[in-house]
Amino acid sequence: MTITMNRGVNDGPARDELRALMLATADGDVQAFETLYGRTSGKLYGICLRLLGNEAEAQDVLQDTYVKVWQKSATFDGDKASPITWLAVVARNKAIDRLRQRLPNSEDVGAAEGIADGGLSAIDVIEDRQESERLAGCLDELEQRTRDMIRAAFLDGATYPELAERQGVPLGTMKSWIRRGLQRLRGCLER
Amino acid sequence: MSDDRTDMDDRNILAGEYALGALTGDDLRRARDLDASDAEFRADVERWTGRFTRLYEEVSEVAPPRMLWSRITADVGHTGASGNVVALRRKVSIWRGSALGMTGIAAALALFLVFRPPVPVPVRAVPAEPMVAVLGDAQEAKVVANWDPDRRQLITVVSGKLSGDPAHSHELWVIPAGGKPVSLGTLPGSDQSHVTLAEALAKLLQEGATIAISVEPRGGSPTGAPTGPVVASGPLKPA
Repeated sequence: MTITMNRGVNDGPARDELRALMLATADGDVQAFETLYGRTSGKLYGICLRLLGNEAEAQDVLQDTYVKVWQKSATFDGDKASPITWLAVVARNKAIDRLRQRLPNSEDVGAAEGIADGGLSAIDVIEDRQESERLAGCLDELEQRTRDMIRAAFLDGATYPELAERQGVPLGTMKSWIRRGLQRLRGCLER
Repeated sequence: MSDDRTDMDDRNILAGEYALGALTGDDLRRARDLDASDAEFRADVERWTGRFTRLYEEVSEVAPPRMLWSRITADVGHTGASGNVVALRRKVSIWRGSALGMTGIAAALALFLVFRPPVPVPVRAVPAEPMVAVLGDAQEAKVVANWDPDRRQLITVVSGKLSGDPAHSHELWVIPAGGKPVSLGTLPGSDQSHVTLAEALAKLLQEGATIAISVEPRGGSPTGAPTGPVVASGPLKPA
């Protein structure tokens, strides 16, 4: 019962089964919802733990995530993304909201409040399977430090100022590393 | 023309930075405005998000504690406005009536029912006694932490301003009598926080334990133990 976001899930019966569970959940089928939880909560909890770094908050966020999944499963569009990707994005957005709310008195407090009621909370994601399959190879074409920073931003929730501090470089340098990295990444993915 | 292209390119990269979660300040605000108002930008964000999501392949699965499912069902059951709740109740009764004789999906589901979490059992904290800790601060802030053992919820109210700066987080700790500090997570920026604790942590909240707040790197102590100065602490007592 492993859920990974690899090709096997995207092509195989696991993806179809999750789709069926999402549809049934949207229809209010509590047993389907429970099965969906059983199949996917390990991955989503792993994502939340990685972003938030502590169990209590990760559990709160996971709870909110599945409540939202129950309420919003009807908006899932199987043509745009696989179920596990959609679920991961719901969890990620909730975890990022939580992470940004931790910052007391920062210039981002206003923004964080905005995010809490909208902003990044939208659940839409477009997954291009061909691009997805090329991501690892394209990341490998970047400089190691840029690749590491992109991974740290997405997986650990680190912002530009945090990344710059970690690396001991000026903020502007960090921004230009990542921007250049994204340009190259896009060029490679769209090749 | 080349200006247009540059502008579009910039926007696409901004969408990437936004999807990555790296933006702060004015750039974040600009991205949020565009995301709300510009369909093309929004599609760019969705596409970048789809790309990065692939990175989650490397995140290991971790089984959440069993009690979490009962918290979710409790929440779902109380979401009064949702049409799904009515459907939920209806489906539950249908399922009770005829668990068999359904389609292939239902048959598959029935198999999984074997593995589903057990019916929620009310959790009893060992001493089910509400507790309170008043955390004095050398400066002007006061913190009151209320422990509700039935809901396993610790409510922390900060009055005044805890010393610290935006580059750091305030982390909450419980220190059992004669024991080492155990993290209860970082405090949000707001004055009040509610943290629901796992059973293992809940057991530590007993009379004689100390509740403390330390200043840590943003996101919390990297070591699992306090690394910065303690800005407030106080003993836990029966409420």
